[in-house]
Amino acid sequence: MFEGMQEAIQQIQIAVPRVFELNVLGVIVASSLYGIFVGAIPGLTATMAVALVVPLTFFLTDIQAIAAIVTTVTCSIFAGDIPATLVRIPGTPASAAYANDAYALTRQGRPGYALGISLVFSVAGGLFGTLVLSLAAPQLARFATEFKSYEYFWLFVLGLTCAAIVSDDSRLKGAFALLIGLLLSCVGLGTDFSAPRLTFGLDPLITGINFIPAMIGLFGISEVLRNSLAIGSNTNSTNESSTAGQNSEASAIQTVLSVMPLAIRRIPSLLRSSSVGSLMGMLPGAGADIAAWISYALSKRFSKSPEQYGSGSEEGLADATGANNAALGSAWVPALVFGIPGDSVTAIAIGVLYMKNIEPGPDIFDPAANPQQTTLVYSIFVTFVIANLILIPMGLLAIRTGSLLVNIRRSIMLPVIIVFCIVGSYALNASYFDVAVMLAMGALGFVLEQYRVPLGPVVLGIILGSELEHRLIQCLTKSTDVREFFASPVSIVLAVCCLALWLSPLVSRLIWTDRNGKA
Amino acid sequence: MCNDKQKRFASPFFVGLLLPILLVLGCVGDESYPNRPILLICPWAQGGGTDRVSRTIAAHLEQELGAPVNVVNATGGKGVTGHSRGLTAKPDGYTLMMATLELNMMHWIGLTSLTVQDCSPLMSINEDYAALLVRSDSPWKTLADLETAIRQSPGQLTSSGTTTGGAWHLALAGWLIDVGLRADAVNWIAFTGAAPSLQELISGGLDMVCCSLPEANALLESNQVRALGVMAPQRAVGYENIPTFSEQGSGWTLGGWRAIVLPNGAPADVRQKLATALERIVTGQTKIGGVSYPDFMEQQGFDHTYRTGEPLVQFFQEADEKFGKLLTSEAMASVRTDPFSPMVFPITITTLMVIVFVGLVISRHPVTTTDTSDETSQGSEQRTSHNLPAMFVVVLSILAYWLFAETVGFVLISSLILFALLVTMRAPWKWTLVITFVFPVLVYQLFAHGLRVPLPQGWIGW
Repeated sequence: MFEGMQEAIQQIQIAVPRVFELNVLGVIVASSLYGIFVGAIPGLTATMAVALVVPLTFFLTDIQAIAAIVTTVTCSIFAGDIPATLVRIPGTPASAAYANDAYALTRQGRPGYALGISLVFSVAGGLFGTLVLSLAAPQLARFATEFKSYEYFWLFVLGLTCAAIVSDDSRLKGAFALLIGLLLSCVGLGTDFSAPRLTFGLDPLITGINFIPAMIGLFGISEVLRNSLAIGSNTNSTNESSTAGQNSEASAIQTVLSVMPLAIRRIPSLLRSSSVGSLMGMLPGAGADIAAWISYALSKRFSKSPEQYGSGSEEGLADATGANNAALGSAWVPALVFGIPGDSVTAIAIGVLYMKNIEPGPDIFDPAANPQQTTLVYSIFVTFVIANLILIPMGLLAIRTGSLLVNIRRSIMLPVIIVFCIVGSYALNASYFDVAVMLAMGALGFVLEQYRVPLGPVVLGIILGSELEHRLIQCLTKSTDVREFFASPVSIVLAVCCLALWLSPLVSRLIWTDRNGKA
Repeated sequence: MCNDKQKRFASPFFVGLLLPILLVLGCVGDESYPNRPILLICPWAQGGGTDRVSRTIAAHLEQELGAPVNVVNATGGKGVTGHSRGLTAKPDGYTLMMATLELNMMHWIGLTSLTVQDCSPLMSINEDYAALLVRSDSPWKTLADLETAIRQSPGQLTSSGTTTGGAWHLALAGWLIDVGLRADAVNWIAFTGAAPSLQELISGGLDMVCCSLPEANALLESNQVRALGVMAPQRAVGYENIPTFSEQGSGWTLGGWRAIVLPNGAPADVRQKLATALERIVTGQTKIGGVSYPDFMEQQGFDHTYRTGEPLVQFFQEADEKFGKLLTSEAMASVRTDPFSPMVFPITITTLMVIVFVGLVISRHPVTTTDTSDETSQGSEQRTSHNLPAMFVVVLSILAYWLFAETVGFVLISSLILFALLVTMRAPWKWTLVITFVFPVLVYQLFAHGLRVPLPQGWIGW
């Protein structure tokens, strides 16, 4: 282990000068601008950003190609927080966990501060994830092989549980929202079946409900609908936006400086959430999304002010945004060690790696096997570090631009947002039906919020529902014996966690009444 | 405060935005094919094998044809979505389709009425055969070892590689029947694709995986899995050390294909132009960054056999008959049936929902007082300021895009939407005009040219 670290440091020393070349740094700067831009547009995902880069990588050298992909992902995942903060439309599903908190801060007139938190903690989480990746990738890869269908099943249950129980109002409402999401995910031709269900005879529904338009609808359109109801006839809104304006006049650097006390205070919890992120990121399926929710739930559990969660909690925002960026680095672990991608971005990256003559495998970190290849792999780590560092100035630029948008009066902003929502839901699959899905989900979100049912669990239910069902069917086809679900230590730990989370209010209520009695 | 700012910004802003647009407008207008962006529909997701091949072909085609070729991933419905999009598109040569072997399978199991007859094939570019893989530490060294093990405990061993009834499932079942076993002698666990199946294999959750060799390339190279054989007529290029099934006594073969096709009815000159371009690409006469298409395919471990013309049509026919026989035969009945009813999960969820809902209604009682008082105070505040027309226009705008964007085109429809919204929301007139005319054009240029995401073109080609 110690020897391995020494070797890693040696390799990094070889890789650094290769990355710090002008042509590589140029690519990094260009990709960071591009990544932020694409990530900030609702509906365009990090995966799409990377897929669009692929044809360009044919023209690039191996290190440039890697740099382009790594930087694009890092920056676009952060940029997904920008629309989440300003207009409550998560740019990526990973941002859905804290969209409400970030948006609440904007409504309090502190969009710059919210984005500052998001930037600082994204960078910190990203750097932590890289550190883990570069020092312990082969050891970590073993962790991924502990996960079979049963463990995945429990992991998805745990992720969904976290989303449901963190909802601010009541656990029952959270559970109800989650079930709505799960039911919506059943629509269409499931992964395991040859007959569509719940389509009500509508052909386009055979494909199921795409989560991108659903997310834009639930979070974005519902908010637009509520705002449009209030527009024009009250002066409240203009007041609100002008106070927002005054606050964001503070320069971006000042904003980030103002985040620093929080950052220093949150170092222990940052370590916790980044570790969760790093572990989850490796698991193919929905690593970063689950990581964000689990960290958010953990953060709330350990917080001194859990009542703020969901309505502008800086702590929840900080922890969850750190976790999803930490997951980015470790998603490369199974890709590099087994050639099995941890997420759709690394799936694309693998193709590019092959093209540039890097062949994933356990000896990819061993310079004795193929020195040139090992140097390239370590240059991935170095690029991750640089990408996270360059994110600071680029992110500040984006925050500055973004905060200006808050000043624009609503009667102008809303129509523009609506067009962006439409394009965003249409663009991914060039599907008109997705636009209708967005509208329907917007209406659903509007109604649910009137009854104070949280929207986050609905989104996560839609995203993970098919995965959960898929894993459940896998487990049941292997064996209908229920004991198999608790056959491995990992399964048992995960199952106990889920149970404890659902039952904890009962337990804590007992303790609470007890304390009250004493008081 | 806002108004002052706007006045200062408005005029230079306006001129600055209009100039580039006028420049771009001036560049449109050439009659020969292709004079606008071409779509290549890929029925599978970003990052998969088909996507990678599609994007490479698109890059080469773009160079050859001199027009942008954009890949659209129309995923879902086990390939139905993408194939229907590609094959029912206008046959003007601006929509190409990367068809896959599922086109030979879907219609036999009633997923769609589309068959290979509904497409006009240009060229098949890849044929990868199924292979059978086990962990390197497994006791089975040859196909015969595995066959014996299956015979000893039928139904006990597990396998995957794709969903139930997918191509690789058929491949395995076909082999089992060929050696005199039942199609369900191996328990098929549905996985979404080769990558998660292989992960499960090396984690010890499966006994074998049936998929194509390029999909398992990394694990083969690092000796974590062993290929017992490939279901091909001869050994695969690049994998010469892996024996075929026929060398081990079974004549069973099954392969997948990927092909570039057009919807039926495309003009002859368009077909000719595309065919010539593809011919040059697959024979390695085009290079991007010094790498030709065959080089790329070899680096990725993909086969790059190609077929065109009459042999291709015949190849499609034969494949279709073969899959038809397989999918409709009595012996394959177990392959066609889902292990569980599709309604199991939804019914469970619905039941839970009812329970939670009842719980909500009951638990609402003690909270009702605070809740309703809150809501009514909010409600009364909103009631005085409800702007129902604005909300109505928002809903109508989105509906309008859904229904009319394809015919009218992106720029026109979004201008109309923006105008309607800005007027209803009483935005300042100057801004209403600027945004209505400038913003849709900018968004179109940004998506269609900057990001290569095609938007509807409609009446004015925009």
